[in-house]
Amino acid sequence: MKDKDSHWTRVLSLFLFVFVSLFLGMQTCLAQEAEQAEALQDSLAQPPAPPTNVVAKDAPNDNGHALLVIWTLSADDGAGQNNVVSYQILRSDSPDGEFEVRGLVPAGENTYKDKGAKEKEDANYLPPHKDFYYKVRVRSDGIFSDSEVSLPAHAYGQWYHTGKTAVLLAVLIFSTFALVFITVARKGKKLYIRPLAGIEAVDEAIGRATEMGKPILYILGLGSADMIATIASFTILSRVAKKTAEYQTPILIPCCDPIVMAVAQETVRAAYLEAGRPDDYKQENIYYLTSMQFAYVAGVNGIMIREKPATNFYLGKFYAESLLLAETGSLAGSIQISGTDEIAQIPFFVAATDYTLIGEELYAASAYLGREPVLLGTLKGQDWAKALVMIFLILGALAATFHFQFFLNLFKVQL
Amino acid sequence: MRRTLPIAVVTGMGLFMLVQYFIPLEEFETLYEWVLDWTMVIGCFAMLLGLYSLTTMMVTKVKRKAPGWGYSLVALAGLFFMVFVGVVPHYQDSLKYGTLFMDLFEYIYIPIQAAMFSLLAFYIASAAYRAFRARTILATILLLSAIIIMLRLVPLGPLSGINQWLVNFILTVPNMAAKRAFWLGVGLGATATALKIMLGIERGYMGRD
Amino acid sequence: MSGEVVGLWIGGILTLGIFSFIYKDNPFYKFSEALFVGVSAGYWFVVTFWQYFLPKLIDNLVLAYTVLTVEGKIDYHWVYLLGGGLGILMLLRLFPSVGWLSRWSLAFIVGTTAGLQFTRYLESNGIIQVKGTILSLFVWGDLNSTIGNIVIVVGTFCGLIYFFFSKEHKGAFGGAARVGVWFLMITFGALFGYTVMSRMSLLIGRMDFLFGNWLGLIK
Repeated sequence: MKDKDSHWTRVLSLFLFVFVSLFLGMQTCLAQEAEQAEALQDSLAQPPAPPTNVVAKDAPNDNGHALLVIWTLSADDGAGQNNVVSYQILRSDSPDGEFEVRGLVPAGENTYKDKGAKEKEDANYLPPHKDFYYKVRVRSDGIFSDSEVSLPAHAYGQWYHTGKTAVLLAVLIFSTFALVFITVARKGKKLYIRPLAGIEAVDEAIGRATEMGKPILYILGLGSADMIATIASFTILSRVAKKTAEYQTPILIPCCDPIVMAVAQETVRAAYLEAGRPDDYKQENIYYLTSMQFAYVAGVNGIMIREKPATNFYLGKFYAESLLLAETGSLAGSIQISGTDEIAQIPFFVAATDYTLIGEELYAASAYLGREPVLLGTLKGQDWAKALVMIFLILGALAATFHFQFFLNLFKVQL
Repeated sequence: MRRTLPIAVVTGMGLFMLVQYFIPLEEFETLYEWVLDWTMVIGCFAMLLGLYSLTTMMVTKVKRKAPGWGYSLVALAGLFFMVFVGVVPHYQDSLKYGTLFMDLFEYIYIPIQAAMFSLLAFYIASAAYRAFRARTILATILLLSAIIIMLRLVPLGPLSGINQWLVNFILTVPNMAAKRAFWLGVGLGATATALKIMLGIERGYMGRD
Repeated sequence: MSGEVVGLWIGGILTLGIFSFIYKDNPFYKFSEALFVGVSAGYWFVVTFWQYFLPKLIDNLVLAYTVLTVEGKIDYHWVYLLGGGLGILMLLRLFPSVGWLSRWSLAFIVGTTAGLQFTRYLESNGIIQVKGTILSLFVWGDLNSTIGNIVIVVGTFCGLIYFFFSKEHKGAFGGAARVGVWFLMITFGALFGYTVMSRMSLLIGRMDFLFGNWLGLIK
């Protein structure tokens, strides 16, 4: 029995030994084969084919400090060896000189804009009217090949930005509409405009202040004089101020910007002169408070609570403080007319004030108040431009539905 | 003359800024940058005018012993002390944190500004109470839309999915449509106002003699 | 007592002063408001002085003067004298007899604004908005997008009709304008609802400051 056991043990051990040896041997062979294959692979690796047709030219629609480099992709980019990783763009000021790296683009791209600085002191300065030579280096994991050197190219500025043609056409069309209707209005033709509740309330609001013997508070908003909404508010102020001059109602205008204060003073003074009441004009009623948003609001809230104006006008550029102003005015019992082109503030004005001029209505208000033919003519021109926009929307939607790309391209603006 | 020449300046500057938009040349770019810089410089001088106006108003109140004149003294004290500590002792360092000027800003201005901003929480509730009484169809639409959006962060159980879908729909479809119409209208209105200013049709802001 | 602790106490007391306005106008609020207005006006003046006046005007003129005295050349930085001149004209408003000269500076700013905004608004609020609204009315295999695009185009169209001033809102035209107003009301409601939560978080922040940072009741 014992002999039989030791015999099987020996057989088993031998079997195990052979099996393990075979396994280890196979692993070693496979590893060796892999190494050999890799070595063979390395010895066979070729650099990718160089890019061809490298062309350098002036970058269009710029200030004369940029060049555009275009090339044909390497034959191994997405095909052939398919081993292209990136392209390096190199520049020199002579064909045989030292080339410096200007940029890097990934595989698949075949253009590069070499943008330089315009200041001579800047290290990246690219002088206009000076010839530069380019070559494109295709790279692949440590190996690369260079293209032929391009012909010389120099940068120069353009007199007209072709990418902004859509804007130029819009300027011409809009101006034409406006000028045509201004001419029509000047010839005496009556131009109809529909009633606006907020504008019709202005007279009533000023009358209310006169009856109550309380002042009117006019807030031009938090914008500076370089905002068109503030300028629109000045045009409305001149008409409101003329009415307050006629009714001899004081008007208080605390301002958030000193230049706005200066323009407001000129506007109101002119309005009082036009109304024939220059002596009633009080410059001290139009003053600067502070330029910081919530400090200005705190100051105006104080005026509303203490002076208790009968009528508040909020016309111009407003931000988060709009609700603070409107609610405080409401608590003070004032009748309130508001208007802004900030859509985010309109809901609060709608909720807290009596009348709101929404967006474009703020810009139309001066025409409504003044009723001067020339202003009505401009408003008509605006409406015709709007009608044209509506036609474009319909045509554009149809073009998009039937995949007419040319229509979409009409509205391309390159900056 | 006193009015005509300024109007000519308005038209001239307006036309220059309009034309330079289409001309990418470096010379025009430089002129454009100069014009913007000069506007800022004018603003700096106007700041002196503003301070003079504010000071005069408050000093007049104090002189006349008008109601609340004591508070005008407080405002004047705050104003001049800030200017003094900001301009006099440090050369351009006063705007760095750790200076007395920035400490005053941090411990007086910042807390009060934050408190004013937080008042909106109370005011938005009172405005909502008045606006959302659904007396008209338009007020009802406003109310419903606001409620759907307000509920987007609230766990509604089985209704969350429907609410999220509604929120997504409202924000991406009717909201986008109305905003586009609004912005188009504002764009045309603003352009018309700019044109009226440049052509000298609107000139009330230029004063009169 | 460290400066920071003093500052916290000042901030806390002034915060309560502002909150007291919710009850009614009172001397505590009036004091806080007056201090706020004075400090903010002073702050803005100092920032304007160091960050705009000195670098934009004085530094440029000093550079031009240095180039003239050292290199004997007239540098282009002298053009900033024009800006300075326009600024001084503004100050002449303080003298009634020559105050009319300030209109040149105001005209410069207003004219610049008008010309600049003319093209900006036409581009950003005109062309780009029209381009964004040119949407396909039928998207194959995507019912959601088809309905969405149709609603956007119709909504934008009706919204523009609402802003039409030359025609009374009657009949079919009035109906379309009404649809436009509905779209606007949905947007205003959405904007209102969107803002409510952020305003509440501001109040929570202030409560955190008062009860946490100042009084130390919240850790």
